[in-house]
Amino acid sequence: MINGNLKASYADDERVLDNSYKKAFVYGMMVVLAGFAAFANDYLILVACQMGIMLIAVVGLNVVIGYTGLMSLGHAAFIAVGAYGVTILHNLGAGTVPDAVMPFIAVPVAVAISALIGIVVGLPSLRVKGLYLAVATLAANFIVIFVIEQDLFAPWTGGMTGIETPAPNLAGWVLDDKREMFVLIAVFAFATILTVQNLFRTRVGRAFIAIRDRDYSAEILGISLLRFKLTSFAISAAFCGLAGALLAYFYASILPEQFELALSLQLVAALIVGGMGRTMGPVFGVIVIVMVPEVIKVVFGAVSGGDPSVAQLRAPLQEMAFGFLIIFFLMFEPLGIVHITDRILRALNRWPFARG
Amino acid sequence: MGQILQFGINGLMSGAIYALIAVGIVSVFKATKVVNFAHGYLIMFGAYFYFTFAVLLPGMSWAPAWYVSWEPAWLVEMKEGLPMFSPLGAVLDWLTNLPRVIIGLIGALAANAVVGLIIERVLMRPLMGQSVFAMIMVTVGLISVMSGGAQLIWTADANYVPSLAPNTPIRFTLFDTQIFLFGTDLVNAVIAVLLFGAIVAMVQFTKGGVAIRATAEDQSTAYSMGISVPRVFARAWVLASLTGAIAGAILATRNGVSPSLGLFGFSVLAIVLMGGLDSYVGVFIAALVVGVLEAMTQWKFGGDWAGIVPYVAVLLVILVRPHGLFGQKEVERI
Amino acid sequence: MLKIEDLHLSFGGIKALQGISFEAQAGEITGVIGPNGAGKTSLFNAISGFYQPDRGRVWFDGRDITGMAPDRRAALGIARTFQNIALFRGMTVLDNIKLGGHTRLKTGLWGALRYFGPAQREELEFRRDIEERVIDFLEIDHIRKVPITALPYGLQKRVELGRALAMRPQVLLLDEPVAGMNREETADMARFILDVQERFGTTILLVEHDMHMVMDICAHIVVLNFGQQIAEGSPQEVSQNPAVIEAYLGAAA
Repeated sequence: MINGNLKASYADDERVLDNSYKKAFVYGMMVVLAGFAAFANDYLILVACQMGIMLIAVVGLNVVIGYTGLMSLGHAAFIAVGAYGVTILHNLGAGTVPDAVMPFIAVPVAVAISALIGIVVGLPSLRVKGLYLAVATLAANFIVIFVIEQDLFAPWTGGMTGIETPAPNLAGWVLDDKREMFVLIAVFAFATILTVQNLFRTRVGRAFIAIRDRDYSAEILGISLLRFKLTSFAISAAFCGLAGALLAYFYASILPEQFELALSLQLVAALIVGGMGRTMGPVFGVIVIVMVPEVIKVVFGAVSGGDPSVAQLRAPLQEMAFGFLIIFFLMFEPLGIVHITDRILRALNRWPFARG
Repeated sequence: MGQILQFGINGLMSGAIYALIAVGIVSVFKATKVVNFAHGYLIMFGAYFYFTFAVLLPGMSWAPAWYVSWEPAWLVEMKEGLPMFSPLGAVLDWLTNLPRVIIGLIGALAANAVVGLIIERVLMRPLMGQSVFAMIMVTVGLISVMSGGAQLIWTADANYVPSLAPNTPIRFTLFDTQIFLFGTDLVNAVIAVLLFGAIVAMVQFTKGGVAIRATAEDQSTAYSMGISVPRVFARAWVLASLTGAIAGAILATRNGVSPSLGLFGFSVLAIVLMGGLDSYVGVFIAALVVGVLEAMTQWKFGGDWAGIVPYVAVLLVILVRPHGLFGQKEVERI
Repeated sequence: MLKIEDLHLSFGGIKALQGISFEAQAGEITGVIGPNGAGKTSLFNAISGFYQPDRGRVWFDGRDITGMAPDRRAALGIARTFQNIALFRGMTVLDNIKLGGHTRLKTGLWGALRYFGPAQREELEFRRDIEERVIDFLEIDHIRKVPITALPYGLQKRVELGRALAMRPQVLLLDEPVAGMNREETADMARFILDVQERFGTTILLVEHDMHMVMDICAHIVVLNFGQQIAEGSPQEVSQNPAVIEAYLGAAA
């Protein structure tokens, strides 16, 4: 709680940025990001783009896991659907639809397909809770990758060898530069956080939280479990689909193995590290999860000096690091980094009258 | 008709191995309510340990000759003059490998038990009594840790490991069809079924088994009745690691040693949910059914389609019978 | 208003309810009493739709709702509280009460994602409504931003009542509203229940062990024992009924 944070109208009280700290932080971040887009070097832009794409996916995952309390270990599948959806649509539309219009069709359609598949994968959530759902989503992840890899669909998906992805042309603005992509990704990431935040100011988001906390008492309040669990799955799948679409535009080509279980686990790791069911959780989590490989890369570069036998240890080490992060946070800070920042902010706010 | 029988029998044999893997997941779940998502990686460790003790160590320069290849005079004598691919030859080849197989198995069992104990002691016990969700998610984190860890420890490319039993071809006629099996597959399946049966009997009839079941029913009550719940937890994990070691050794001989062995854990997790988490019988039946379905799929559609059979099957089963084919529905008290 | 007709319910071999029939009159407080295990909570669960009766019907406002899902019943106007408080513990009092408005609000997914516009207007109007009609009424304005876990038991019960009131129910089911409360808290709660009846004209069905309170505020009482309905009538009639006395005090009395 913030001291002296008094309101004179209900509208003021219902604002998202309901105190001056939050306002300063968010507006400050917008300025910083604008400056970043203009002045950061190419490497930083690259890393930031990865963060932005992953952030959109993790915010989506947060809706299902963090707010609705449905476990999913297969959200990489929806990213795959988004990425492949956009690519396939571009290839199908080539020649008939003008390039400058294509993204405006391809992205919404790919996102809608992801949402639909999300509803299908979410169906078991009506009957079962927790574990069963985790395994069902895991199964869905394997099935989606399997379908993409099939020779039968290879003419569209490229099969095991992957496929080249298009560069987006937004009504004449061709985003062939990473810096331009960064602007697009940052705008989408910001919009994603905002819309999800909006959700929780209305009955829809409250219904999700009610289902997470105690589902029979949610029913007694008139919340249809069927409708809202599926809605939750659809929303999160849609955001993951959007992340996939941006990912397809960002990279020159995509491979099915990018979207395997390892990616699903990374998303979950980001959520646990950052803090589930909190707005800033995905932000902190994604920063950590994307930084880990980069830090390992730098350390390895310094240690190995280009020795290939040492360099091949990097991938397994990185994998272990994700696992250790999940375990460490579950054991020592299960509410994630958000909880740490909460404590720091509270202490600052009360200082010098009280500690902690 | 003939093919169906052949593939059916193959399917039953791999189903038995699934059952052996599943028993580890079910035992840990029964005792601790934790579904071990990393069980497949425990099995992968078992396979790598078997590989270490049966292939890597004998390959060291200091390894005694009998360990590398046991060839007493009578064995060499018997081998002389045998035709290629004779059944007796296969048995004799196996005898040559026997010391490696035995040391490999013992080593795998011991090393895997240590791994299981470490997981229980360092990761599970501190979370005991707090949140089952956190414990389950810790096993999810373990997936990455163990998969990366194995690649760090065993960088060598692994291919051949000695089979647990003589690889004699077996031919017989059943309903007027020629059936062809490898001896080692048959023995593997028999080992799997016997172990499964032994563990179920242990849980049903021994004192330790009763403690496990009591803990499953109500942890705090069991604790207050004088059952050492931490010890039950530890036992369950050791049991899972031991069965995992055997399953790992079997999978190593069948599929080769590689990090992708861990993926078996996920197919078997699907099987376990199909059978119902708390039902040994249900899980056993589900394992056999999936084994047969896989074999049939392999026959009709090809090998790579077989891989997703458990996943498709579990989705269908969950939609129709949410608590598995044989699981009990928990009655919710309000 | 709410009519129970020959309700039978069993779990395996256990017969939880055997032929319960009574009617809760509109605008009245009806009490359901009985010793532990008499089937009171099972009756509530059958009314709110968690259990499907084996036989018998539940009528709401002349409409058969026997096979209806719990959330649909809530939308019709049946609210309830639970014996062991079923609030959302991580949320604040205000959010809990807002959840009660779920069925009254209309915002859909698209409106919610956009927020600004109709959704915001509806939310603010709703906020004003619950502030005035629920939070002020139950005298919990000082704790509206406090998380549930930080509240004492008596206040939690009151918040749960508030959440039910936010639904603007026609029928309110209260499962042991004063269980475990001291005399003062009980008196407060009884006053709030009477106020609800008086101010909103809500039909109230109440399960309670506290005999004094039941006799004081109920117009009509139904007595259950071992799943059977052993008596029904006004507080005076029931308290003099020999079957009831026997059930509560044993045959010797």
